[in-house]
Amino acid sequence: MDYPIWDLAMGGGILIGLVAITHVWVSHFAIGGGLAIAITETLAVRRGDPAMRNLAKRSSLMLILISTVFGAISGVGIWVTIGLVQPAATSALIHTYVWGWASEWGFFILEIVTALLYYATWEKVRPRTHLLIIWLYFFAAFMSLVIIQGILAFMLTPGRWLETGSFWHGFFNPSYLPGLVLRTGICLLLAGAYMTFAALRETDAAARARLVRLLAAFQVIGALLAYGGYRWWEVALPGSVKALFAGEKPILAALAGTRSFLLWSLLAFLVIALFALLVPKAQRWPIAAVGLLAAFAFFGGYERLREGARKPYVIRDHMFSNGVLVSEIDALNERGILAKAGWAAFGTTADPVGRGRAVFRAQCASCHTLDGYLAIRPLVAQADADMVAGILAVMKDQGAAYTPGKPTPTEKLDYPHMPPLVGTDEEVEALHSYLMSLKAAQVAAVR
Amino acid sequence: MTENLIPALDPAPLPGPPWLFHLLWLVTFTVHLLFVNTVLGGTLLAALYPASRKGGRETRTLLVEVNSWTISLAVTFGIAPLLFMQVILGRFFYSATILVAWAWLGLLGLLMVGYYLNYVAKFRLRAGRDAGLAIWLAAVCFLGIAVIQVVISLLHMQPDRWAAVAASGWAALADPTFVPRLLHFVLAALSMAGALLAWVAVRRAGRGGDAETNRAMAGFGIRAALIATVLQLADGFWLLLALPEGVLRAFMRGGAATMVPLTLGILAGLGLLVLLAQIHDPLAQPTRVRRVAELLVGTIVLMIVTRHQVRDLYLAAHRAGEQVVVATQWGALALFLVVFLLCVGLTIYAVVRALRDRPAPGEQAA
Repeated sequence: MDYPIWDLAMGGGILIGLVAITHVWVSHFAIGGGLAIAITETLAVRRGDPAMRNLAKRSSLMLILISTVFGAISGVGIWVTIGLVQPAATSALIHTYVWGWASEWGFFILEIVTALLYYATWEKVRPRTHLLIIWLYFFAAFMSLVIIQGILAFMLTPGRWLETGSFWHGFFNPSYLPGLVLRTGICLLLAGAYMTFAALRETDAAARARLVRLLAAFQVIGALLAYGGYRWWEVALPGSVKALFAGEKPILAALAGTRSFLLWSLLAFLVIALFALLVPKAQRWPIAAVGLLAAFAFFGGYERLREGARKPYVIRDHMFSNGVLVSEIDALNERGILAKAGWAAFGTTADPVGRGRAVFRAQCASCHTLDGYLAIRPLVAQADADMVAGILAVMKDQGAAYTPGKPTPTEKLDYPHMPPLVGTDEEVEALHSYLMSLKAAQVAAVR
Repeated sequence: MTENLIPALDPAPLPGPPWLFHLLWLVTFTVHLLFVNTVLGGTLLAALYPASRKGGRETRTLLVEVNSWTISLAVTFGIAPLLFMQVILGRFFYSATILVAWAWLGLLGLLMVGYYLNYVAKFRLRAGRDAGLAIWLAAVCFLGIAVIQVVISLLHMQPDRWAAVAASGWAALADPTFVPRLLHFVLAALSMAGALLAWVAVRRAGRGGDAETNRAMAGFGIRAALIATVLQLADGFWLLLALPEGVLRAFMRGGAATMVPLTLGILAGLGLLVLLAQIHDPLAQPTRVRRVAELLVGTIVLMIVTRHQVRDLYLAAHRAGEQVVVATQWGALALFLVVFLLCVGLTIYAVVRALRDRPAPGEQAA
């Protein structure tokens, strides 16, 4: 909040989503693919099966071209993007989990070197050494997931960390294990889905069917594991989150819709995987492509749901999505939001509309754009001055519902997915003036 | 005004002593920079050495093959210093990157394109085809990354310039030290890649490789390193004198702590120059070629220390009131140390085993 503000027409959340979702589609393949290639080459060596060996070799090229380049750089890209859009949250996460990330980095060194080494040593080392390298790769890749899952899950369910501030309480939080099972399933199903394309390049029909069936088994096991993990994950969510989308009180229709979408996508994927398992000879690349798209839809949907379910927080019960801490609501009401958010007022005028714009930039701009994603102008166009004033008053009153270090039943609030409005009465009035100026500008534009 | 634009210190305590973060930052940054210099300098040399000249194709092949590893390693070893730096200076770093957000994000795009172009060049060269265009484009990408890195590095330690950059992004380039600092970066990369090329060529020749080809490669590498080092010495003084007066004065008054690394660095640079000038036939002077590579690494390490001290002096006034609270996470720190040692050990084991466990003639290979 006290950082410079990146005015992004598409909305920062959309950018984070785009970078993060494309990254996880690749990074989870990098893990599951490691296991699938390790098993494939192990079988190839034990059975003397050249088709299996060719599949492992072809897949290893895919692994380094997709994972060590796009996967590695887009992974840094998530970090870069959240640093640009949510710098306060990034700083908070780094202060809490720097040793976790550093540990993940240790596994990352092993993962990258063994990936490059594995591809470079085809036909150059004895089979046992080659197998050792790929199994080491899989170990490192999976361990990086074991660590990063703790940090990802922490943001949604920080658990006892809220009271103790302990690294371990935050890391082994309520949704850690369910999420790990879910992501492990996703790794397997993505590995099967990607590598099916490499298997379909096998010219011998009988061998091709054998490879397709093996990879279909990965997909079926992965889909079942992912489904179990997802259901467990839902159980582990706080009641407030469940109330938002998971059944009894779907306040956010878009999230409830996403939930249905991802579950149907998973079902579609499972059907296609079962088809490949039962009739591997009939597998063709268009069917495999549909399966891969269904996998993307499921996983992308889940990530969207996980991000959306965190609202109004970026770290649940600790920091709101605009960077305001639960613990500083009272202080900011007293001192004013602009006493802290120096950059929000940069380039604005000192009149009420200018100050209101600064308050908007400080508190609202992390989610709302003027005319793009979650556009504010069309929203105020539908309301009159009294109604906007009433909404702002309710949002400010909501601040009293939050207690530092304690979970808040957000589902009972009038605006459960929005942070409370903080600041002095003068700042709230200034925000009102600014919002009304947007309405006036729109009316003038229409005329 | 400026102080009002510097974000408040993160309220969370530091999860370890500051000296440890500085140490880890410096050590990992050194490794990162060695790989970065190899990538940037190697790609530039591969672009500059015509494939039609003796040893040209072999030079390009060698540098492109090496870079298919070093780009990954540069990225991997870039993560750690970025992480440890953010613990100490996050509020300055995030502010600078947000002010040039598209450039900072664009850096990753350039990196990805540059890396894929290196693979295009690698596979084209393996297929016996020309790869000049791919190498040149990759060189442009990596130079663009160098420009962005220097801009952000200068901006994060000068909050006084933030308001101007917020008003106009081009102001990010308006720093008297920008050009000499960028040149310092690029010239160091050229020196290092040149020395590496010469060293590998000498080793290859010693193992029975074609003498003329390797002599041409090594000669090119030594010439490149020599020219870059001459220019570097001039540029180094330009950079020093272009520093803001207050920073330069504080640096000169820093006593042995600042003057010893700088003096040693300059002396190492001069020594490097003498050593390079004495090499007339690299294949006949293998020890001297190896000394060049060793001295170059030593010089870079010393300059990294100086760079770190200069940053502290730039930021000293803005960090004067910092009240840092330390609450070391001993268990998590131990986890990191164990994982790090385990993974580095396993990595070395895997590499050594891959180098040694070669199948005998007629034996089955993987």
